[in-house]
Amino acid sequence: MFGSRRWRFAGLVGAIISLGIAAPCAAQDARSYGKSDPAAKSGGRMVVGSLTEPPALDPYHQGADARIRVTVLAYQGLFYEDASGEAVPLLAESYTVAPDGLSYTFKLRRGVKFHTGQTMTAADVKYSYDYLRDAKNGSPGAGDFSTVDAIDAPDDATVVFKLAKPNGLLPITLTHRYGGVIPKDYFASPDSRTKLNEISVGTGPFKLKQFRQNSVLVFEKFKEYWQPGLPHVDEVTFAFMPNSAAMVVAAQNRRIDMGIFTRPQDAEQLANVAGVKLVRTPSMSQRTVDLDSKYAPISDVRVRQAIALSIDKEAVMKASIAGYGQVIGTTVAGMQERWGVPLNELPNQKVDLSRARKLLADAGHPNGLDIDLTTIIGYDWMDPAAVTIADQLKRVGIRVNIKKIELGVWIRNFQSKQMGFTFNDWPTSPDPSLLYYRHFRAAPLGADFRNWNNAKASELLDRGREESDYAKRRVIYNEFQKLLAEEVPTIMMFSADLLTVERDRVRNHQQHPTGWYFGLIKAWLAD
Amino acid sequence: MLRFLVTRLASACFAALLSSFVVFLLMRAVPGDIVAQMLGQSGSDRAAEQALRGFFGLDQPIHRQFLDWLGQVVQGDLGRSWYQGKRVTLLIADAFGVTFEVATATLLLATLIGVPLGVIAGIYEGTRLDAAIQAFNLVGLSAPVFWVGLMLLVGASAFLAWSPPFAYASPSEDLGDNIAIVVLPVLSLALLQAAAYSHFVRDCMIGELRRDYVKAAIAKGLSPAQIYFKHALRNILIPLVTFMGLILIQILGGTVVIESLFSLPGLGRLILSGIQGRDYPVVQGALLFVVLVAILINFTVDLLYGMIDPRLRP
Repeated sequence: MFGSRRWRFAGLVGAIISLGIAAPCAAQDARSYGKSDPAAKSGGRMVVGSLTEPPALDPYHQGADARIRVTVLAYQGLFYEDASGEAVPLLAESYTVAPDGLSYTFKLRRGVKFHTGQTMTAADVKYSYDYLRDAKNGSPGAGDFSTVDAIDAPDDATVVFKLAKPNGLLPITLTHRYGGVIPKDYFASPDSRTKLNEISVGTGPFKLKQFRQNSVLVFEKFKEYWQPGLPHVDEVTFAFMPNSAAMVVAAQNRRIDMGIFTRPQDAEQLANVAGVKLVRTPSMSQRTVDLDSKYAPISDVRVRQAIALSIDKEAVMKASIAGYGQVIGTTVAGMQERWGVPLNELPNQKVDLSRARKLLADAGHPNGLDIDLTTIIGYDWMDPAAVTIADQLKRVGIRVNIKKIELGVWIRNFQSKQMGFTFNDWPTSPDPSLLYYRHFRAAPLGADFRNWNNAKASELLDRGREESDYAKRRVIYNEFQKLLAEEVPTIMMFSADLLTVERDRVRNHQQHPTGWYFGLIKAWLAD
Repeated sequence: MLRFLVTRLASACFAALLSSFVVFLLMRAVPGDIVAQMLGQSGSDRAAEQALRGFFGLDQPIHRQFLDWLGQVVQGDLGRSWYQGKRVTLLIADAFGVTFEVATATLLLATLIGVPLGVIAGIYEGTRLDAAIQAFNLVGLSAPVFWVGLMLLVGASAFLAWSPPFAYASPSEDLGDNIAIVVLPVLSLALLQAAAYSHFVRDCMIGELRRDYVKAAIAKGLSPAQIYFKHALRNILIPLVTFMGLILIQILGGTVVIESLFSLPGLGRLILSGIQGRDYPVVQGALLFVVLVAILINFTVDLLYGMIDPRLRP
């Protein structure tokens, strides 16, 4: 899935693009949303069980991952983030980069219709991204566009992004996490934001039919969708399951066709049920322990290193998700091959208790220390992980007091940069800059939630963002990752696999590593 | 009577106002707000944060926010959900329909099971039958509602290869689906409340049967049926009605758990998701509604007293 030959090819494309030559993408239809199945049949209704429910469906103002998962069916960006991490043209047909890297010209696909019936033009694209990047509109995605100076629409099928600084990851930013192309001036009316819970106004293959809070969300096939033959199913219903027991029972009794489980022990119950299969996909999310550099005693880098040297990630992963995942170093499992540094080349990855004790003594804690470790209510994996880590840290004299808090409180602490010593669970879009920049670039350009405030890291992240050549970017990000492992503002422990349960009649469903439901677009139902 | 009504109404208004104020303060005392949730882990661009705070009126001083809200409420407007954009009154009406159905079905079933069991246990005090009923009471009173619900759900799947439909349908939309989806939650709530009923009625019955008038009735030669049902049962109606009111309020509370377990889009889940999402108008509106319902139930109980026992008429 993450074969290296493909990466070389990708690097080559990157090199051509950076020379300012148009990159025609004739075969991109076949690459957006995964592989096509020539045997696919159309029709049928599919029911997907979901343990998470979006609070609302507005792709511009709702940052929740539960929202992104479903709105990718109705809204589209200029590019599609394919499973391997490349930006594949979607609403854009092709693009060119000026030799100075300061201007990107996108040729738009023609004949694209919005769910409202209007035809998409460059003016809509300009409006959409201008709205998204203006912080006054309150979108969580605004920060991704800080390098964009202006967006022009010279004709109906051309959009030009003018940049203040080169930004190699512009294409991957124009994907699906936030926003998506919508009709010009859509947000002009005051109730337009919440109206998005009743109608969808994007260009995606599915349009919103019904959203009943605490119950179901129904998408129907958009008949005027621009990719011929897609989507295959007529209707997708998301059934919100309040707990995994209910979802297991629903899957056993064929009330649902598909569902993503978060705990392996739940999915395992279904492994032997006839007519149901369990699919494991490496994910782009990571389970970490974060260490706030302003929080005593972990404000001392030696204490952070001692903690890293005392944690056996493999054991934590076994205790917390029964081994259904991959131990990671400094990047998510889904990006390890393309961007990661091999774990044996990173510092502070192997358990070394005597070094940990020495570091603690040097830091003025010869008799150990006491510390609070925060877990979040509702995140089942954190509790066994916390107990395991507490046991592991006890070996070097660190006495852990486990503190459970509610998600809303945790988010507040996170945003106000008062994380302390806490568990975290975060997904990423498949690009190292999208993964690291906001989290680790010092303020004001980044958010630097962990108060790391590291000048060298910031300089590397700035360079990585400006560079568009894959090989050069890789060198930069490798250096950054070594610094991250050395200074330990975070301990990335493991990526849990996505565990998808599918009924036999579901065909060609390809789970996207983000956990977003792109896979439903090319999936079909056998009789 | 008029004086009674006026004082009750005044105290009800005061209770509603006070509880609204407490809810209002508590919601804002909980750290984190809707803006933090919307921005999620994407980071906080100060400008975006301020823009959203202004959009929701969270930049206003707190007393101003309360007075604005109260002003709306007095005019019968509970505002709109910050996430959904729908009127809170409509959301409550939809959700209460579900909760009301579950609660009344539960009350009916629990009464039909619990009262006869309690009467029988009281009459046959000390026998094996009594012991069996008491064992049922013990299990019912001590088993947590979510556990009973979960066991019913898993049991139905394991033994009947059946599970409820995933989406709630109102009785007018699809009666079959409606019954299929409420049957397990009603059963799990009713089993527990039946036990409470049965325990309570048994105690009352035993107490009554030891009273002097029962001895007199026996001496008079009345049949056991007349003694039990005409005299003893009638005398326990007053405490029973009070108890019913309490049970109904308890069921309304129990639905929070049961609705979450069985994906019922009722009032409990509306409040819970409102709290988790910090959707203040929804939580404030829905809790105000719950307080009013509780007051109404108590009020009805008081009125019923007078109907049952003329001596208690105000």
